[in-house]
Amino acid sequence: MTDSGVNINSAVISAEESVSPTRRFFIGIQKSGPVLVPLLSLAAMIVLIIYMVNNPGGAIEARILNYGNVLRMFREHITLVLVGSGAAILTSVPLGILITRPAMRRYTPLIDNPVNVAQTVPGLAILALFLTIFGLGFRTAIFALWLYSLLPILRNTSSGIQGIEPGIIEAARGMGMRPWRILIRIELPLALPIIMAGIKTATVVLVGSAALSTFIGAGGLGELIVTGIDLMRPTLIYTGAILSALLAILLDNLLGSLERYLRER
Amino acid sequence: MIRFENVTKIFSRGTIPAVSNLNIEIPEGTICCMVGPSGCGKTTSMKMVNRLHSITEGKIYIDEVDNSTIDPISLRLDIGYVIQEIGLFPHMTIADNVATVLVEKKWPKQEIGKRVDELLELMGLEPKIYRQRRPSHLSGGQRQRVGVARAMAANPPIMLMDEPFGAVDHIARVRLQNEFLTLQEKISKTIIFVTHDIDEAIKMGDMIAVMREGKLVQYSTPEDLLSTPADEFVANLVGGNRSIKRLHLIRVSEILNRKVATVNMSDTLEAAKKHVIENAFNVVYVVSDTGVLNGFIGKVELKQEGEFVKDVYRSYPEIISDEATLSDALSVMLSNGESYVPVVDDFEHPLGAVSLEDVFKAVRQDD
Repeated sequence: MTDSGVNINSAVISAEESVSPTRRFFIGIQKSGPVLVPLLSLAAMIVLIIYMVNNPGGAIEARILNYGNVLRMFREHITLVLVGSGAAILTSVPLGILITRPAMRRYTPLIDNPVNVAQTVPGLAILALFLTIFGLGFRTAIFALWLYSLLPILRNTSSGIQGIEPGIIEAARGMGMRPWRILIRIELPLALPIIMAGIKTATVVLVGSAALSTFIGAGGLGELIVTGIDLMRPTLIYTGAILSALLAILLDNLLGSLERYLRER
Repeated sequence: MIRFENVTKIFSRGTIPAVSNLNIEIPEGTICCMVGPSGCGKTTSMKMVNRLHSITEGKIYIDEVDNSTIDPISLRLDIGYVIQEIGLFPHMTIADNVATVLVEKKWPKQEIGKRVDELLELMGLEPKIYRQRRPSHLSGGQRQRVGVARAMAANPPIMLMDEPFGAVDHIARVRLQNEFLTLQEKISKTIIFVTHDIDEAIKMGDMIAVMREGKLVQYSTPEDLLSTPADEFVANLVGGNRSIKRLHLIRVSEILNRKVATVNMSDTLEAAKKHVIENAFNVVYVVSDTGVLNGFIGKVELKQEGEFVKDVYRSYPEIISDEATLSDALSVMLSNGESYVPVVDDFEHPLGAVSLEDVFKAVRQDD
């Protein structure tokens, strides 16, 4: 019996030895992915900004595309995304945990349904709606973005925890683990990949939605895009769109690294 | 000691009780098998002992203490709990799995490490190899062992086992059962063992509680269960071939008295011949330098060309350990096509042989 385990191990080693050089190249890329992809997207962003500022392609573009402007919009965009998703994580994860507690199960629809409804309202409409309550500016945008990213995180947190094999929880209970110890040592680690998937989805979507914030004067890369549309200057549209796309890739990968770090701990 | 006193469990008001008016006393250091069809209340009864289920009516006493007066957490920490292999925590290493209760009991780190190694060794899992593995890298049988090791970590006097060997194939199950019985002889825990398999119950149990629709139908020793079933239900459960089932009750080591001579691989055939003629089954065992049983030489092999034992010997398709039951022995005889079966110890060193005649004699004596 003890032999079978050893065999598995040696099988893995021999499988690694027998891969072709091309496969090994791709495996290498996969392994360095956590560092490589964020670095590449960061480099691409810097190169893009430098290039566009130096080659705006016209006088109108040149007035908007200077370092001060672009970096401000970039900073505003990142702030919108990080504060928005950060707030959403801080609300949705605890809420998701709460609605999976046995005593709270029957209240699940009370939380689930309003959050579902919030997701069905288009992002622009949410902005317009809260504009009338909170007025123009950063605060309203943050609120809308927070509301908009609640669902994926909440849904993934609760289904990640509910999806755990009941036998595992029962074994933990039967061995005398306290409920909060089960949560920390069993439930959260096992649900982590699914919770992180929700956070990643929410963050990437948020990078796109944050571009809408410009309509209520909260700035961000949306400003570049909307100005580009108004002045019919494609260079501006591309610059704004590509920068936010690269930002999405960067954040997605950084969150992936965070997940790996948490899992190995 | 565990005592059920008029225990009744009703899950929701107005429904039929899952367990009704159960009275059992399980003496210290014995295995009580709870057996019956699914939904008979055997698992529910077990889970009331460590209060995973609350008791609707009645009391369960553990060493004369009413278990409803004990804090459920400390109650559970002092009761080993084994469920099917799904109960291992997939994200933790084997060492962390085994250490679960010890960590909850706040043992010092060093002692935990020492105890984990001790337990893995006890279960036949080399600590150096398995400590850092994940459950998914283990075979079904190994996972069950880890489950048992985890339950025994804090050396609890009582263990609850819910179909602990349910998720492995027949051969691995027989092996685990035998190992566990040998272990129990050393550790003498008070065990409630839930199973739906009557053969397993007969083999493992010192006492067997047969349940049906929440009621206890019969509570007796395996021998009494086989000879005098309480009613038709028990008789049907036990099945028609009761004398064959009795074979589950006797271990090979209890009746082993035949010695078989051994020769080394490098001995000459001439030396082997003498032993073959003297032996009752006309065989001689062939062992390696380390004493491991490699095969045998019989009359047929003697006639073959060759000068040394290693040229002509044949290996056995199957051998059994002295922990096996007579039923195992009989089935190996049938598959080997011989009227005897070689018996070896844990290191596969030959101990002797059991013959068909020995099996007959043992069953007759038992009557």
